Amino acid sequence: MKKGILEYCILLLLKEETAYASDLIQKLQEAKLIVVEGTLYPLLTRLKNSNLLEYCWKESTLGSSRKYYKLTEKGEAFLGELNNSWLELCETIEHIKKQN
Amino acid sequence: MKKTLTVNLGGSVFHIDEDAYLLLEKYLSNLRIHFEKEDGGEETLGDMEQRISEIFSEKNRAGFNVITIEDVENIIQRMGKVEDLFENDFRTNKKSSREERSQSSHGGERIGRKFFRNPDDKMLGGVCGGLAAFMGWDPTAVRLLTFLLACFGGVVVFIYLVLWLIVPLAQTAAERLQMCGESVTIENIGKTVTDGFERFSHQVNEYVNSDKPRTMLQKFADIIVGILGALLKVAAVFLGIILLPALVGILLAFVCVVIGLIFGGVGGIVSFLGWLLPSMDWNIISSVSPFEMSIGGISLIMLFAIPLLTMIYGLLCGIFKYKPLANELKWLLVILWLMAFVCIIYCSVSHGWWRHHWMI
Repeated sequence: MKKGILEYCILLLLKEETAYASDLIQKLQEAKLIVVEGTLYPLLTRLKNSNLLEYCWKESTLGSSRKYYKLTEKGEAFLGELNNSWLELCETIEHIKKQN
Repeated sequence: MKKTLTVNLGGSVFHIDEDAYLLLEKYLSNLRIHFEKEDGGEETLGDMEQRISEIFSEKNRAGFNVITIEDVENIIQRMGKVEDLFENDFRTNKKSSREERSQSSHGGERIGRKFFRNPDDKMLGGVCGGLAAFMGWDPTAVRLLTFLLACFGGVVVFIYLVLWLIVPLAQTAAERLQMCGESVTIENIGKTVTDGFERFSHQVNEYVNSDKPRTMLQKFADIIVGILGALLKVAAVFLGIILLPALVGILLAFVCVVIGLIFGGVGGIVSFLGWLLPSMDWNIISSVSPFEMSIGGISLIMLFAIPLLTMIYGLLCGIFKYKPLANELKWLLVILWLMAFVCIIYCSVSHGWWRHHWMI
């Protein structure tokens, strides 16, 4: 379940701006969602392989080139779906909580 | 004072202490073993190496020129330990070892161990070392016993070679733990990696390429087994291609025999075989009871079908990169095949079938 949420968050973060893996890690760590960096890389590769993300190489100030990830069209559509199901999920949980 | 190495990591060059190098190498190869199972694993690993390289670069910019063991430990902390990243893998492993434990609980001390060849304790192929770890015996005693048995009968040598070829080498920390029957937990994994690492750093001079220096005999044996394995594979492929149509034919014929037996009784079989191969006297079969006949038939089918199907699967594995058969399944097939073989031998001997056709 946490993995799914993590993917959702990555897509959310990438919706606003293209980002480099380390930026993502920093933001996710701020949100206390992931602890170690290694969890992110397999996820990014998987999202990229299912055509939700794409990346381009950009030269960084440090001299090495970095992968900058951004959402594809399919990714944006998928994010829309995720948003909906997230809202539904929230409603369900709230509903059940109220019943108790 | 420490010896340093120069490494290329993610396209940048770094000076790295030897002990730090060994730890990093172990970490990366453990990651690789796990990522290899996933789609795009190579790429993920590349990304991670890139990232590690970047963190090192930042440090170099700050004026430190050599990567030390503390840096590598920090990196591992930061990127995550292998067992954290592959939580699910480890959980399933643990589950299966628990299942094995409950199965073999009546067998006393053996708790969920797996038979691997032991790379840390080997004279030739690590089979005896692995067996000793598996059974909890003293490796020297096992070796001595094997040697004695080998002196008395050549079968042991053959079995040893077969085991060498079939049984996998314990490569990852998790596999080594399974070999010794310790449960795969985070602490244990950490212990294994550190254990190995401490041993490395204590005997740095002897571990030039992170592997034990091997004697001439061992090297020679390695080469022989390598060649044998390759030859066997080639032979299997050729046999598969050549024998495929023939085996399929035989298989069909035996399926026919069994079906004929079920529906037409023994008389039907005799006339069917007489029609198929008129040169032989098939009436002998009439004296065989239907029960034995069906056992024999099923055994015969298995005798041919198991190697055939394994070969076909092996071919498909090579062509389409399917996952190879699980080890448990392999053993099951071997056992089934041996049982079929024994059945056939028994059936034919008990009815003097061979003597009837070929001795007279």
